[in-house]
Amino acid sequence: MVKEIIENIKGAFADYIIGIEVNKNKVYIEVEKKCLRPLVKLIKTNKQIHYVTSVGVDERPLRGGFRVYHIFTSIEEDYSIIIHTSTPQSHLTIPSIVPVTPGANWAEREIQDLLGLKFTGHPDPRKLILPDDWPPNIYPLRKDTPYNIRPPSKPTLYPFKRPRETSTLPIGPYHPLLHEPEYFELYVKGEEVVDVEYRGFHVHRGIEKLGESKLTYNQIPFIAERICGICGFTHSTCYCQAVEEAIGIDVPERARYIRSILLELERIHSHLLWIGVACHLLGFDTGFMHAWRIREPVMQLCEILTGNRKTYGANLVGGVRWDIKEKGVKKTLNVLSKIEDEFKRFIEDLMSIREVKLRLTNTGVLTKKDALKMEVVGPVLRASGVKYDVRKAHPYAAYKEVSFNVPVYSEGDNMARLIVRIDEVLESINIIRELIDKLPKGPIITEEIEIPGNRKGLSMTEAPRGENLHFIITGRDGFIYRWKVRAPTYANIPALKIMLKGCPLSDAPITIASIDPCFSCTDRVKVIDIKTKKTITVPLMRISRGKIW
Amino acid sequence: MVKRLRLISTAKRVGVVTRPYPFRPTEVPEEFRGKPIIDGEKCTGCGSCRNVCTPNAIEIEDDLEKGVRRVKIFYGRCIFCGRCSDICPEEAIKLTKEFELASKTREDLYQVIELKMVKCKICGKPFTTERSLKKTLKSVPEELHEQLYICPDCREKSTAYIESYTKRR
Amino acid sequence: MLYRKSIWVFHLNTGGCNACDIEILDVITPYHDVERLGIKLVASPRHADMILMTGPVTREVLPKAVEAVLAVPEPKVIIAVGSCACGGGIWYDAYPTIGGVESFLKIMEEEYSVKVKAIYVPGCPPKPESIIYGIALALDMVKQKIKRQVYEEK
Repeated sequence: MVKEIIENIKGAFADYIIGIEVNKNKVYIEVEKKCLRPLVKLIKTNKQIHYVTSVGVDERPLRGGFRVYHIFTSIEEDYSIIIHTSTPQSHLTIPSIVPVTPGANWAEREIQDLLGLKFTGHPDPRKLILPDDWPPNIYPLRKDTPYNIRPPSKPTLYPFKRPRETSTLPIGPYHPLLHEPEYFELYVKGEEVVDVEYRGFHVHRGIEKLGESKLTYNQIPFIAERICGICGFTHSTCYCQAVEEAIGIDVPERARYIRSILLELERIHSHLLWIGVACHLLGFDTGFMHAWRIREPVMQLCEILTGNRKTYGANLVGGVRWDIKEKGVKKTLNVLSKIEDEFKRFIEDLMSIREVKLRLTNTGVLTKKDALKMEVVGPVLRASGVKYDVRKAHPYAAYKEVSFNVPVYSEGDNMARLIVRIDEVLESINIIRELIDKLPKGPIITEEIEIPGNRKGLSMTEAPRGENLHFIITGRDGFIYRWKVRAPTYANIPALKIMLKGCPLSDAPITIASIDPCFSCTDRVKVIDIKTKKTITVPLMRISRGKIW
Repeated sequence: MVKRLRLISTAKRVGVVTRPYPFRPTEVPEEFRGKPIIDGEKCTGCGSCRNVCTPNAIEIEDDLEKGVRRVKIFYGRCIFCGRCSDICPEEAIKLTKEFELASKTREDLYQVIELKMVKCKICGKPFTTERSLKKTLKSVPEELHEQLYICPDCREKSTAYIESYTKRR
Repeated sequence: MLYRKSIWVFHLNTGGCNACDIEILDVITPYHDVERLGIKLVASPRHADMILMTGPVTREVLPKAVEAVLAVPEPKVIIAVGSCACGGGIWYDAYPTIGGVESFLKIMEEEYSVKVKAIYVPGCPPKPESIIYGIALALDMVKQKIKRQVYEEK
């Protein structure tokens, strides 16, 4: 199927293609920038092609100009198509592909903020990532901007687009059951939500710039693990796989199995954490305490296997640092059988409560058509009827050697997203048992590694929240020239606009939490009554239970 | 209504799982990565740990007036990854099992090792530590020992002089 | 001792990765259960006795964190949890951060004339037991174990 698409492209756009490069199952097609929009439209007519992200690279030290890569991948086959185009420094404009692919909205705004390119035809070119008081015309990701620049502050107000005849509910950055600071504005008419605006990126720490300037290639797995404290091992595995693909080395088999075991343990702990937080937002604190009680033995097991409860630090380019010994294997099997038993009982207790079922069914619905249009990923996509799991579509680590099911439900409401995650926990327990059974003997790391310059590597993994992507271009002397990270929540948040429209206000907190935004980021709410100019502050829990005034 | 009473029987079955932590000490597994400590007797000041430390928690500075090299670990920025311990050629850094590291002042979170430095025979500037020099002397033949007491800048100048002298001859 | 009864804590995340935050939540779950000592998480900084701060303070969050800390009643104590808060972590000199709790305390003193005391709890992330030890140290219930060590070669 994908090969046919490439033949169509070669036929229809032969005059504009500059070069085609094939690296195993990844095809890089270089084109001129004027044919970008019709080319992407041709690719997107195929239902199995899914847009992932766009990357901007400052190539002025190498061959002049700036280059933009648009990355597409197939949902059914193990193939990816990457379209790239360049523009000289004198004309920093590129046609935008948002009119044909709505999912590219945030990726192009990010390139505009960090590199200074302009995308003609973009419907909403506001600032996205940099802080509100960052002065204009300083672009951090360009090669002549140092990584530790601290320009003086120039405060500006963020331009929210507020619709008329509605009340504004700011859900501002700090929350009692805290996670990250994020800022949502809900616009309500009476009790019904009409629209939502989002101002995030309070957690922007300059990770990509640090990886490109001061860290060596073997120090980056440690910073990659701290991109997210809950699914960090997925990020460091994805980075190591991208480098290993770029330089063309093979990881020993035992190392691949150990990576898969730790990845599945991380998935179990992340889903149990989310179930606890969702119960708390529904007002069911007993469920929160039980879910985290069941999760604790997993953290202690990881401390025995790797030395730390979280941020394991077990990955290096070429393999893993420590081995799993006999004692670790026995303890793992013990903990898994205990957790399986407790978890099944807990789910029966949870589903026996009528209010949980009533509040989650038929709320926050995302249809299959909207899910494909907004390019969402992970359990949100699988709960809306599309079967796409990176572990099956593009197998990595040791997933080709085990057999497991991928749960898919078609209702698209909050209950479907809960049941997808419950099924995934039970599947993960079986996967770990099969991996331990088949664990081969051998070395755990490839020693002598050389990094030649100017090679490209692309890798995708299935984090607990969805599809994760790392893209690297190697540089000279063991440094990395460009490193791009696309986390799964980045693709899921724009879909909240559709899920929250028409939703009653008490269902807003659990709907925002159901996409699992690396923690639920809603918090205390200020309710402003426009007519009487009264303001009161209400904890989110009370809104969730329906008591506002 | 009756179904939700299952929660009471679950609570009875599970019992109490709380650990008595502040009143009794807690055990950690032997693989646990706690506070790293440098053994002052073994460290030679080579700087491999500083090159590998990701958050730059290990700093090395040369005090040219006193003639000492200071190796400092700042526990406030350490991420307890253990790379310094993997890479040290003398096995001078080890990770212990301590995790109760809270402190009221920032100065208490440092460990400082001061090592004596050797002065160059020609220009008098300190350029390496005594222990590092002793270690190199063991693996180099006797005839070249004189050369090792000269700092790299002066050594460049003297070899350039000898080369140009032999060329003129 | 400044506080005679149990203290209430407000959690302030200034842009961290969340690992320290879920260890703080772990402290109120059944295995460590700090509520038996009377400590609980509150929703508003006006009700809080101490602040648990995580994350290197990013530029975007700075004005909002200042507002939250100004709302805490005197005397103000910040417990900096994790390596990002204590010293800035891996991003101590990156462009969008100001580098940990030291710079934050300087800003509070110079621009708002507010004195804040700080306690440091290193770790990445610190174990729940380390966090309980840090709070106990702030209440003067235990002795500090770590001290500045200097070794001089003779």
